[in-house]
Amino acid sequence: MLGSVGMKTRAFVCLVGLACANTSVCAGTANPFPSPGFEIGKPFPDLILPSLADGRPISLSQFRGQKVLLHIFASW
Amino acid sequence: MHVPGWHKATEKLQAEGKLQMVGIIQEQHPDRARLFMQWKKMGWPILIDSLDLLGVSVVPITLALDEYGIIRLVNPPLKDSGRLEDDFLNRSFEKPAGFPAAKVIRPDLARLKTGAKRGNAGDWLAYADALIMWGEPGRISEAIAAYGEALRLAPEHASTYFRLGVAYRKRYDSSDRQDGDFQNAVEHWSRALEIDPNNYIWRRRIQQYGPRLDKPYPFYDWVPVAREEIQARGETPMALTVEPGGAEFAKPLKIFESAATDTKEPDPSGRVIRDTGKFISVDRTVVPPVVSQGASARVHLIFRPNSKNKAHWNNEAEDLVLCIRPPNGWLVDRRHVTIPNPKTPVSQEPREIQFELRCPQDAAPGAVTIPAYALYYVCEDVNGTCLYRRKDLRLQVQVRKPSG
Repeated sequence: MLGSVGMKTRAFVCLVGLACANTSVCAGTANPFPSPGFEIGKPFPDLILPSLADGRPISLSQFRGQKVLLHIFASW
Repeated sequence: MHVPGWHKATEKLQAEGKLQMVGIIQEQHPDRARLFMQWKKMGWPILIDSLDLLGVSVVPITLALDEYGIIRLVNPPLKDSGRLEDDFLNRSFEKPAGFPAAKVIRPDLARLKTGAKRGNAGDWLAYADALIMWGEPGRISEAIAAYGEALRLAPEHASTYFRLGVAYRKRYDSSDRQDGDFQNAVEHWSRALEIDPNNYIWRRRIQQYGPRLDKPYPFYDWVPVAREEIQARGETPMALTVEPGGAEFAKPLKIFESAATDTKEPDPSGRVIRDTGKFISVDRTVVPPVVSQGASARVHLIFRPNSKNKAHWNNEAEDLVLCIRPPNGWLVDRRHVTIPNPKTPVSQEPREIQFELRCPQDAAPGAVTIPAYALYYVCEDVNGTCLYRRKDLRLQVQVRKPSG
């Protein structure tokens, strides 16, 4: 059952024009990467998310061409 | 702190254009992160992932991404930030073959809806996620229904429960709020965690509103400090849509602090006339929704004047008082709670009370009723009357069946 969810979530990601190279992320399963599960040498997933500044769509792919230090964090 | 520490350590590199800082947050109320960024003078872009579509189970995580978006370092040590230059900034990386350029566009909701109607769990999930992230504020109910469809087709998909919980809490914070939305949020987060108990992000979402014994540290105790410091700089602090309070400020506890039992009840024989819902309605949420024997839970009560009758608080009389009368063996941290009236003669604001209770070790599994009542002065504009009323609350708490 979960497999079917994963397949379709991946389809959604592609539908919105993303290059989804990390299948573990795109699979949308319960816990695709228990931290630290990001692999060196793999692309960071191109999720399109709302920007905190103005709510507009934003993706990490917009920062291509620059070296990025990405923090996944919370203010608490 | 971790992120401000990184910001400070790399300020020069950022100013020289050698390094771009970016953040992703999973918080239910993202504007709190905006206030945090203002406080710490960090102006770089942040992506909101309240649904945790990225699927991270812990934070913080720091990643160094090269010019092509390839992960080059995972959690580099802040105390040795010089290594970032040696191992990352001063290195050149090869462009990967066939790496497509991404288009950053807002998803087409109508197209996703058509896709969802094909009847696949993943399509319903994608549609619900898009409604939460990109839909108009009035479409949260539609998203809740879509998550429901996804769960009907894939009932063990933990992340869907978590996302549905996020949607319920979002509706609770909106003008479309329905009875039980907050309790539904907590129950769905709890269900997600039952399926996957190792997800720290999901656990933190429940702890945010839960009992003090379950907390590793306070959540938003920094907010008043931040506002004060921002104002002292001559700036206006970013507004918050939902003020943090109660459980979100409460410091952790090591042992349950039980209230004294010899306090005098304000209406012991129940003589005050009851308000059966005409004036004030009460929204109740118990966190966690099922409490284990010997464990504690936090109860959230919101008293709301009934807008249909144009009911309002009479602030020139006595304060609202809540009296909790736990059954034998159950402990509460407060037996009487008072909410001081604001200074205006009348008002219509919701009033919130939170208290904690502790389940006895030998409690029988199943539903337990915790009797409580509130006393308040309330007026209604329809007939122009002001009255002293009592609201009886029979709070339901579920005791978990012991495992094994």
